[in-house]
Amino acid sequence: MENENEKENKPKYSFGRMIMDDYMLLLFLGVTIYAIFYLLWGVMELSNLPTIPEELKNSLLK
Amino acid sequence: MFRTCDITGFKVDLQSEKLIRYNAVFAVISLLLAVVAAILLIFTRYQPVHLLNAEWYYRLLTFHGLNALIFWIIFFEIAGLYFGSTVILNTKFCNPRWGWIAFALMVAGLLMSNTLILMGKADVMLTSYTPLKAHPLYYLGIILFAVGALVAVALFFGNLMIARRDRTYGDTLPLFTYGLMTAAIIAVITLASGALIYIPTFLWSLGLIGNIDAGMYKLIWWGLGHSSQQINVAAMVSIWYMVSFLSVGGTSINERVSRSAFVLYILFICLASAHHLLTDPGVSNAWKVWNTSYAMYLAVLASMIHAFAVPSSFESAQRRWGYNKGLFEWLSKAPWSNPAFASIILAVIGFGFIGGTTGVIFGMEQTNIIVHNTIAIPGHFKGTVVIGTTLTFMGITYYLIPLIFRRKIVGFKLAQWQPWLFFIGIAILSISMIVLGQLGVPRRHWDSTFSGGPFTHNFNPAVDFFWVLMMLGGCIAFISTILWILIVVVSVFFGPKVNGPQDMQLTVSPLAPEAKSHKGFEAPGTLVLTFIFLLVFIALFFLNWKWLAATWQVN
Repeated sequence: MENENEKENKPKYSFGRMIMDDYMLLLFLGVTIYAIFYLLWGVMELSNLPTIPEELKNSLLK
Repeated sequence: MFRTCDITGFKVDLQSEKLIRYNAVFAVISLLLAVVAAILLIFTRYQPVHLLNAEWYYRLLTFHGLNALIFWIIFFEIAGLYFGSTVILNTKFCNPRWGWIAFALMVAGLLMSNTLILMGKADVMLTSYTPLKAHPLYYLGIILFAVGALVAVALFFGNLMIARRDRTYGDTLPLFTYGLMTAAIIAVITLASGALIYIPTFLWSLGLIGNIDAGMYKLIWWGLGHSSQQINVAAMVSIWYMVSFLSVGGTSINERVSRSAFVLYILFICLASAHHLLTDPGVSNAWKVWNTSYAMYLAVLASMIHAFAVPSSFESAQRRWGYNKGLFEWLSKAPWSNPAFASIILAVIGFGFIGGTTGVIFGMEQTNIIVHNTIAIPGHFKGTVVIGTTLTFMGITYYLIPLIFRRKIVGFKLAQWQPWLFFIGIAILSISMIVLGQLGVPRRHWDSTFSGGPFTHNFNPAVDFFWVLMMLGGCIAFISTILWILIVVVSVFFGPKVNGPQDMQLTVSPLAPEAKSHKGFEAPGTLVLTFIFLLVFIALFFLNWKWLAATWQVN
């Protein structure tokens, strides 16, 4: 009974407000967006760069 | 153990208070180290003096960068995080023992890195781009500092959890603490990036890893290097709201919008790190454009919201106190004799007009190319980190001295002048560096006359004038920083004790009264100021595109 009363008395917040107040969710979203768009995307692009041909490398280093 | 503050009424956890004090003291020490190096660097870059030799120039550039951009800022922010999560929330510190461990790690990191730099074992500058290699202990020092800071951020979240469990605050976090929570989240992103790159680099310096890819290093390092400055932005804006509350009893005229702006920071501001790679061939245009345009503009939008919300909170409160005449009576009757208030208003102006405008212009792929790797870039961040963050931190310290250190401010008259002097000095320094960069003067260059080199370059003769201005601005800023440090040190260690509200030299204002009636705009003066800012922004924006168009002929 008490629990039901508590539930009824609890103010109802909008979905947006609930997200904004959940700092663990915000931490997750912040880290994820950064990790996907900046870090992983960037690392993938750099990893897929073709390596310099050995002949060209040697001629440049001469 | 708590004490109840007889000025603010806050319950202050004594352990937390001690941790705040120690972190703040080390922040001030770091700033002192940074500015001593800075003045020597200025007199080296000013060619008629050319004080240091090349070796010591790059050594002290490394030293200055690390102390100014990392140690000073992060020690102060940790003090701020502890303040915002315990004192403001009337709650206890979750784990003081770990607080001291974090502090010890950070101090060890500072000592280790600085010693290695001064020994000449780490002349790699703040960015330490590979294949430049420093002594392993230099990297270890930074790793220790970062781990300490990460533990401190975790303790901040622990404090928030305790406060929520004990219901020491209302439905939602106060705006100041909410902004600090934003700073803490950005700190997690920053420090995780730091760990990702510094741990392998440390192993590489020990010879345990054969190679660190230079492109990969740069990509991940800037996730630390630039994002760490976004911690500053979030912490700085939080303090702006806090000082509005303390000095005139102001609150955001729309707190929900202010909170949404902080959320935009959390989601998008760290992506702006990409503008450091705008001239790198390894990453695609799609990556560059997405991260520095679409995503970054959402963070810029957040800054523009704060740029309106902070001054309007002052204006709205002042109008409710009765300063209603015309557009600007609220501003002319503002508490200018309060050095914290003056610092914050000057920081808002400097950050917006110098740091903000140049940040957007230099952060764009097209206009970035005009100034990339020129002295305009450090000129830009003098307009953000120094005139914005540092002046803000200086300002809030005027409140921390009586409220946390329980001492009166010694030399209060000088303290009232200090923010103005600092603002003038850094504004001159920053603007002259930006102009020098626009004229093609390179950054991080010991001798920009290229004397003795195989080639030479004749700069526009106006360059000589702006070098003098830069030196002048640097000297004024140096004097005002030393003045601030003296005021803080003398007050904290030798100042008379604060025994109650009667000893408070700065206003702690009650909340401004409710508005009796509300017609039209709540903050018309701020609206006019915002339009002036936008006009300046548009003018600078088009000027830079014009300069870009003039760099080559398109038929």
